[in-house]
Amino acid sequence: MKLKRFLLRYYPPGIVLEYERRDGTRGSKEIDLLRLTPETDVEVLVNQIVYEEPLISANRKPQLRKLIYKLMEKLDQNENHDFYLFKILRAHILPLTNCAFNKAGDRFITGSYDRTCKVWDTQTGDEQLTLEGHKNVVYAIAFNNPYGDKIITGSFDKTCKLWNSTTGQLYHTFRGHSTEIVCLSFDPSSSIVATGSMDNTAKLWDVETGAELHTLRGHSAEIVSLNFNTFGDKIITGSFDHSVKVWDVRSGKCIHTMQGHHGEISSTQFNYAGDLCVSGSIDRSVKLWDIASGQCVQTLRGHNDEILDVCFNSNGNKLVTASADGTSRCYNVMTGACQAILIGHEGEISKVTFNPQGSKILTASSDKSARVWDVETGDCLQVLDGHTDEIFSCAFNYTGDTIITGSKDNTCRIWKC
Amino acid sequence: MGLLNLLRKLKKSDDEARLLVLGLDNAGKTTILKKLSAEDIDNIMPTQGFNIKSIQSAGFKLNVWDIGGQKTIRPYWRNYYDNTDALVYVVDSADRSRIDEAQEELASLLKEDKLAGTPVLVFANKQDLLSAISASEVADLLQINDDRAFQIQACSAKSGEGLSDGLEWLVEQLNDKEDGAAHEGK
Repeated sequence: MKLKRFLLRYYPPGIVLEYERRDGTRGSKEIDLLRLTPETDVEVLVNQIVYEEPLISANRKPQLRKLIYKLMEKLDQNENHDFYLFKILRAHILPLTNCAFNKAGDRFITGSYDRTCKVWDTQTGDEQLTLEGHKNVVYAIAFNNPYGDKIITGSFDKTCKLWNSTTGQLYHTFRGHSTEIVCLSFDPSSSIVATGSMDNTAKLWDVETGAELHTLRGHSAEIVSLNFNTFGDKIITGSFDHSVKVWDVRSGKCIHTMQGHHGEISSTQFNYAGDLCVSGSIDRSVKLWDIASGQCVQTLRGHNDEILDVCFNSNGNKLVTASADGTSRCYNVMTGACQAILIGHEGEISKVTFNPQGSKILTASSDKSARVWDVETGDCLQVLDGHTDEIFSCAFNYTGDTIITGSKDNTCRIWKC
Repeated sequence: MGLLNLLRKLKKSDDEARLLVLGLDNAGKTTILKKLSAEDIDNIMPTQGFNIKSIQSAGFKLNVWDIGGQKTIRPYWRNYYDNTDALVYVVDSADRSRIDEAQEELASLLKEDKLAGTPVLVFANKQDLLSAISASEVADLLQINDDRAFQIQACSAKSGEGLSDGLEWLVEQLNDKEDGAAHEGK
């Protein structure tokens, strides 16, 4: 095998090695640098990589060093400009549900009670497409990142639709759930779609053929959250039955049922490495689970009311929670220590997310504002005011310099810095 | 509220009932809702989407969904029909010019499969205004011709008069329904 070229992945930091096999075919391999910080000793790291990775010979060291400096520069790229309101998008005629960016961040999508999903140009705020066809609320939406050429929409009409994100062409309508679809995801290779429903099941669908691959049965109440791991071989589901389940994607079999919460699960997520997942619950606690064993490794307490959302940062060393008590908390995943309490909202926080760089946290609240926080200090950097009703969803783009917020006031707002 | 709570409100639960409040724009739906939950009723703007409030009444937790009534968003009313235990239809008794429109909308609601058999409470609202017609006149003009449980209640969302009487009737209907289900051994 011969190394052909290096590719960089900024968030979480990593180097992709593209190589050629003896028979001339190409492959690629990722070196994850999840612990890289702007303070990392580059010489030590370069030597370690060359020592451990047979594809990289010692004469590649200068090149490798340059790449690592580039990754560190990207991590340190802390935009300290304020966000300003760039555009108010008023094309939906009923409240918005969720919103999401594609990987490049040049386009984003919004779902609405008006039964449509709209595709927007981030640069101009122009509406590019309206995806029409659902017979009820469009609740869950997603791009097939990193590709971004497809969109899925999950609706209260019990179906999920797969669309071409450029032309708006409808590829498939996935039918089979008996009640509302409320969560969904593409697998990382964009060949499978997973949908979770109020009918207590999740289903896996083939993107190419539109066929149903598996029904994940076992939960005894509504499934409100589901996620693939980075590798794409496992899926977790969070349910109102108080449990989280880990499933094998290929066989559709349940691997672990993780019990311990005393209330409905509101949100789940895998860390990037895929060895842990987090669950937030109405029981006011957050739990970290070991995927291999299915055991709870950490219970994070401190909130005085229901947990409504949880999120890892991109390298997985921190997580942030959103609670009905109006605060968010940032925890160190290794130690379980609470590193910051984000205090300031005057209503429950329903959504929370890190920027891809991991330096800022964005919260969306029923107090009609979104806020930007400093991860290290826990200080509120900015209040994004202007929505006239509660905010249901928010997102950062990949470069971390644009925010979108979706509200019950029927508008989506673009904020730039 | 948040999206998660919207999902929790979608769930069917034994000790909670789901009320759907519909009617033309400016009928007073949001004002009724706010008055019932003892909130300030000044500066109410036209509802562009929906409002949800939980109200306790005689042992029932009523999850009340107030949906905007403007013509452009009426086609979306059916988003909200599922699992509705009772329909509250609000009429502006002082606006004679739109009573036909109110009658047509109600008639088409009563034809909806998902609302079949659902008890209907009509609030003949704005009785505090001099130009208001009486509840029985409203009843005549709505031409209700349906064998489901039906009640017309005169009220004023502004003063609050008649609101609790209407709710009491509704809770009675919900109780009857529950008793009926118990007798059938469900």
